[in-house]
Formats: sequence, C-alpha cells, structure tokens
Amino acid sequence: MALKRGHLDLIIYGAFVAVILVAPLWLDDFWVNRLSKYLVYGMLGIAISLSWGYAGILNLGQGLFFGAGAYMLAMSLKLASPTSLQSSDTPVPDFMLWNSEPGAVANLCCINRVSFLWIPFQHQWFGLIAGVALPSLIAGLLGTVLFRRRLAGAFVSIITLAFVLMIRLLVIEEQPLTNGFNGLTDLALLTIGNFQFDPYDRATYYLVAVSLSLALIGARLLVGTRAGLILQGIRDDQARARCLGFNVPAFQTLFFSVSAAIAGLAGMLYVVVAQFASPTFLDISFSITMVIWAAVGGRSSLLGACIGAIVINMIEATASETAALLDLWKVIIGLIFVLAVLFLPRGIAGLAGSVGDRLFAMWSRGRGQAELPSGAAQPAE
Amino acid sequence: MIDVAFIGLSIGAILLLVSLGLAITYGSMGVINMAHGEMVMLGAYTNVLLGIWLNVGFLAAIPVAFMATALVGFVIERLVVRRLYGRLLDTMLATWGIAILLQEAVRLDLGLSLVGINIEGLGKGLQKVAAPDWLAGVVTIAGVQINAYRGFIILLTAVLTTATWILLYRTPLGIQVRAIMRNPKMAAACGINVERVNALTFAYGSGLAGIAGVMMSGFMTVSPEMGAPVVVDGFLVVVTGGLGSLLGTVWSAGILGEINGFVSSVTTDVVARAAVFAVLILIIVFRPNGLFSFRAR
Repeated sequence: MALKRGHLDLIIYGAFVAVILVAPLWLDDFWVNRLSKYLVYGMLGIAISLSWGYAGILNLGQGLFFGAGAYMLAMSLKLASPTSLQSSDTPVPDFMLWNSEPGAVANLCCINRVSFLWIPFQHQWFGLIAGVALPSLIAGLLGTVLFRRRLAGAFVSIITLAFVLMIRLLVIEEQPLTNGFNGLTDLALLTIGNFQFDPYDRATYYLVAVSLSLALIGARLLVGTRAGLILQGIRDDQARARCLGFNVPAFQTLFFSVSAAIAGLAGMLYVVVAQFASPTFLDISFSITMVIWAAVGGRSSLLGACIGAIVINMIEATASETAALLDLWKVIIGLIFVLAVLFLPRGIAGLAGSVGDRLFAMWSRGRGQAELPSGAAQPAE
Repeated sequence: MIDVAFIGLSIGAILLLVSLGLAITYGSMGVINMAHGEMVMLGAYTNVLLGIWLNVGFLAAIPVAFMATALVGFVIERLVVRRLYGRLLDTMLATWGIAILLQEAVRLDLGLSLVGINIEGLGKGLQKVAAPDWLAGVVTIAGVQINAYRGFIILLTAVLTTATWILLYRTPLGIQVRAIMRNPKMAAACGINVERVNALTFAYGSGLAGIAGVMMSGFMTVSPEMGAPVVVDGFLVVVTGGLGSLLGTVWSAGILGEINGFVSSVTTDVVARAAVFAVLILIIVFRPNGLFSFRAR
C-alpha cells in the first residue's frame, strides 16, 4: 500500500504525542512543571484552532471558558485546603472569614449572601465536572443566540470580547463570592483516589500530557467526521450550507461548545499545575494572546496551533530569563506577532505543510508514483 | 439629575473622542487597529514631554500631539497595515503586535534605556500632568455647576467631530475616502490614488487618538499601559453605532456615556461598566449593523 499524504499527518501527530510523553526523561522537576504549563496553553491552541480554523468563529473571549474551568476546580480545591478548615468543622474559604460581618455564622450556608453557591463544591467531583460542563453550557447558550441570529465574522468576535470583559468586571466586583482581584490561592492538591497530584511531580505532567494528547487526537478525529466536514463547508460558504438543508446554527454551536469544553479542561489543568485561579484569566490581553499563538502556529491546523502556543511560551520564558534580552523579550514577542501575520499567514504549520508537500512529491517521484495533487487546497495538518 | 446627565455627557465625549479615529480606520477602512489605544497613550506622553522639556501650554500640546501620532500612524500604515487590507481579523492581530511594540518603545525610553540613557518623562513609571489652571475650577451655567475640564472636553469633542464631518462630507479628500469605503477597486479605477488616501486617512484617525490622549492625560495617570482598555471601548462604540456611520458613532458614544453616568450614580462604577457591556451586547445581537448604518450599494 502506497504511503498517502494523510498518513504523513498521522505520523506527525503520533510523533508529537511521543515527544511530549518522553520529554520529562531529559528535564528536571522545575522544567517539567513549566512544560506542563505550556502544554496547557497548547490545549488552548487546539480549542482556538477548532473554533477559528475549522468553524470560522474567531472567539476573542476564549479566556472566559478557560477561566470558568479554572474557577470551578479551584473552588473545590479551595474547600479541600487546610486554610478553609480554620474555624469550624465545615469548610469555609478563608477570605470569606476575613471579610465576614461580625456575628456571621461561619458556615457556607450563610456567612454571606452568596456563599451558598459554594456548597456543592465540597465534593471535588462536582468541581471537576462543572469545570467542563459550565464552559460548554455557556458556549451552548451564547452560540445558540449568536448563530440563530446568523451573526458571523467580526461581530461574533466583538460580542465574545464584550462578554468576557463584562464577566471579568462582575467576577472582580463579586468579592464575597470570588475573592475579587486576588483570585483563589492556597489551594489543596488535586486528589484522585489516594493519589495527590503535586505540581512539581511527573505524575502531574503526565496528567496534562495525556489530556493534551487525547484532546488533540479527539479533535483531529472530530473534524474528520461527517459533522466536521459539514462544519468546514459552513465555514467556507454559510449560505450554500444553509441552502443544502444543513442546520447551520446547530453545527456551529456544537463545535463552539466542544472548543469551550477543551478550554475549560485546560483551565482545570492549569489550576492543578499553577495552584491558583485569578481574574487575569479573563483579561482581554490573555484571550487575544492565545489567538495569536494559534495564528503563529497555524490557525487551520490543530497541531500547528498547539505547537505555536508551546513554542511562543518557551521563547518567551527563555528570552525573559536571558540577561541580555531581559528588557527586550516583549519586543521579540511583538515582532513575532507582526511578522507572522505579515509573512506567514498560514503559520508555522502552513510553512511545514508546503515543505512537507514538496518533500512528499519528491519522494513519490523517486518511487515512480504519480505525483499527488498539492496539499495547498486542503488545510495543512 | 442634570449634573448626572452632564457627567454622562462628558464620559460620552471622551468615548467619542477615542472612537472618532476608530470610526474612520475601522468603519471606513476596514482595519481593526488594536494599536489605537497606544496612539492615545503616545498623545498623552507627548503632553507629558512637552510639559517637561518645553513647558508649553496645554493648548499647544494638542496640535503637536496630533502631528506626532499622525506621523506614527502614517508609518504604521505604510509598513504594516497596507499589506493587510481586506483581511480584517489579521489587521487586528498584527496591530496587537504593534501595540506591544509601542508600549515597549515608551517603557524602554525608545530603546535608549538599553544603553543606559533615560529620558525624563518616558520609561516604565507613571507620569502625571496637572490640568492647566484655567481649566481647574468649576463654571456655573444656568444654575448648574460644571467642572471646567469636563466642559472643555465636551467642547473640543464637538469641534473635532464637526471638523471630521466637514472633512468627510464637504471636501474632495472626503469624497475620495467615502468612495474607497464603498468600493476600493472602483475608486481606483476612477483615478483615486487609493494608497495615498488610505495612508492619510489612517494618519488622521491616529492623530485624533493623539488629541484624545492629551485630554485624558489631564485626569488620568499616564502610563505605557493606559491605552489598552481604551481601544476596546472605542470598538464597541463604533460597532454599536454602525460601521461607516459618523452620526451613529456620535449617538452610541452619547447613549453609552449616559448609561454609564446614570448607572454609576445609583450603584458603582464597575456595575455601570458591566451594564454598558450588557447593553452593547444586546444591541449588537439584535442590530448587528448598528444603530445607524449606511446601505451598501
């Protein structure tokens, strides 16, 4: 059986998964923790690529889903933390005690007017499930409203942008519920069964790496299904898809929610790795920055966007720690953003795709096979 | 009641001042310029530097800031933006990179801090400019006490809006701009130098941001990061007003300013801003073309 261009993609995906799984063998604990953070960002790259590259929906509020996932798990971990068990036998987050009115009962039911919302988070599983369910639910509702009204392009981007800004303000304002600007810190370690995930432990790295691999492969398989192909048809010509009888808003909402769920999962993993959740996750700059990671990596390639996120963050970390570049690393990042948009509109993956096509064509010619049509027409994986 | 309305009006005036430039670059040219906020920041720094080095008055800073930021805008258009016409979302990403570069330029004293030279007035820290004495007090008009600085902002915004309207609708250049806005290829075929007009329009929009920066430096601390929140507000105003509609931008800035003023008078500033975002989202969802939009032919 002849080697096909599609097989090459599978090999590359497999190679990437293999690399991230064996990487800790050469890294010390500090770098393992760091790399796990970047893999979480890589997962955000996948989420962006899925909605932007495949569905044509540029979500400038992806940080909302990331933040929702992060806060849901962080709330559970906060209640499990020793800092929440100071006053009574039922857990109460320390910041609620500090800010409670004199004479308030130190119990989640009624220490302040919104604390009851924390009650279900006493079960860690509730936090874990809500971390994916809440982002998908928000995306489902938002998507239903937006896509039913046939909004597209920049309008969706601007609405998601305004939405995340609004939620950020409310999260900061609702100090009794969310601890405002300070976010949630002093969290317990994620414990599953009897195993604790220490952020500097290799087990945590593998938790992130395996989740990333599953998300990557799952998303790759999803875009290859019939629904995924219809979605790409919608991206390329919405009116045509509608006239062919497809329920356009349903497909868009579905993929928007899947993308949100991946971002929510990334948020939860970030909490496990970094041990905090804060309103900075909802900053506009974070949401836009992750879009640029995907743009640099290659918006229409799940793996490209993922690698783009990992690579930019590694460059950023290296540059910000090199004494000579200490003041210049942000300039470097800014330049990468501008130059990538100008000269690499399809990102690193696009570049790699064209190089791969050429090599493949040479290889097949060498074997006396007919040259396959160039991969330029299909999205580079 | 009237004083609250006045505060809302002045918030709206600042919004409009920031949005005017965007209404032109985004509404007319289809460029999402995320570096617009940094133009505001550069305008504010122009005022800071002029105050320190030349000690010229506030009024003199306005035209200088206009020229300086217009020049920066012109260079950005020539180097980057002109390669991206027709790629709306890419303009946003590239100009976000430019915004980072401009912030760093100020933070690193134009790069001189790397060789150990520091320019007074630039750098990482916060800068403060006092509003001029003649705008410090309050003016009483028809029994209502009005903060003179806010009043001046409203006045200046009105003048600039009128000037922009005249430029767009009553001059040969404006006709060319509007022709390009409707159909760039047709405009080029009719002999309009599209590249030149686009560069000038972009420079003008950036210059307006510079003036907004001078005005904002009078009541805000000036820092390299000050521009970032401004630009998002500006976009929302322009989209709500309707792309390509100057009148729409004026109305939406006014309405949003008033909502902000009234809601913050009964609750807090934060809730007021959240309310403004909520209203914006609803308007864009239900009237995606904005309150006022021209009909494309």
